[in-house]
Amino acid sequence: MKILIADDSRVMRQIVIRTLRQAGHGGHEVVEAENGRMALEMVQSESPDLVLSDWNMPEMTGIDCLSALRASGSQVPFGFVTSEGSEDMRQRAAAAGAAFLIAKPFTPEAFDEALRTVL
Amino acid sequence: MSVIAPELTDLQAVVEEVWSTFVGYEHPLCVRQVPAGTPLDSGVWSGAVSVTGEWQGAVTVELADDVAVAISRVMLDVDPSESLNDDDVADAVGELVNMIGGNVKSLMPGPSALSLPAVAAGRAVFPSDAHEVARLDLLWTNQPVRITVHTPGSPR
Repeated sequence: MKILIADDSRVMRQIVIRTLRQAGHGGHEVVEAENGRMALEMVQSESPDLVLSDWNMPEMTGIDCLSALRASGSQVPFGFVTSEGSEDMRQRAAAAGAAFLIAKPFTPEAFDEALRTVL
Repeated sequence: MSVIAPELTDLQAVVEEVWSTFVGYEHPLCVRQVPAGTPLDSGVWSGAVSVTGEWQGAVTVELADDVAVAISRVMLDVDPSESLNDDDVADAVGELVNMIGGNVKSLMPGPSALSLPAVAAGRAVFPSDAHEVARLDLLWTNQPVRITVHTPGSPR
């Protein structure tokens, strides 16, 4: 399985990869994008099985990326990993077609629970 | 009366949760007793995010240089023998303030939007119309860590 991680912070991409490993999901192929626009392009070029995306990114936000994906017909499973976990954000994420929203700071257990809904 | 600032206990809980999750429990964060307005007297890195919308404010993190470098190594999982460049430290400090700021935003009335983090090697300087509404002075490995929340306008 291939997972696309979209975050403008290299630190956070590293932490997400490490947490995937700690959650027992270390065997998957990982590709990385630095913003929503790059993620949008890489969904076409890399055909990931899952996108894990930050919300707030330069160039294109995660929610705009998700909306563009759904508008183009892509149904790739998409989850947010973001520092903002308010009910308003969760509702916006779900309305746009996200499978889950993991709020930072997160634990391996939270990752495992969320990923089990789509893997 | 509308809420204008996060409770200090909530801010401390947010900081401790973020810190323990991404930096670890090995060294505790301790409260540092200093008078309001005391500048940090060592070289620091600073990062800030702003929140705009129903609640408006800015969350700032200032870290002693040694703290900024140490947490960057932990967050990036970089071996002590490997060197870090300023981009790595800026990235780690930015992500730290992004997480703390995002959680503070979630404590306050919404809807609102969180900015991307701005990071600098140096002390944070605030505009004259910014009013400090919460401040946490902490020590980590005996080095200062400061988190402040500012809102625009005069104190109420």
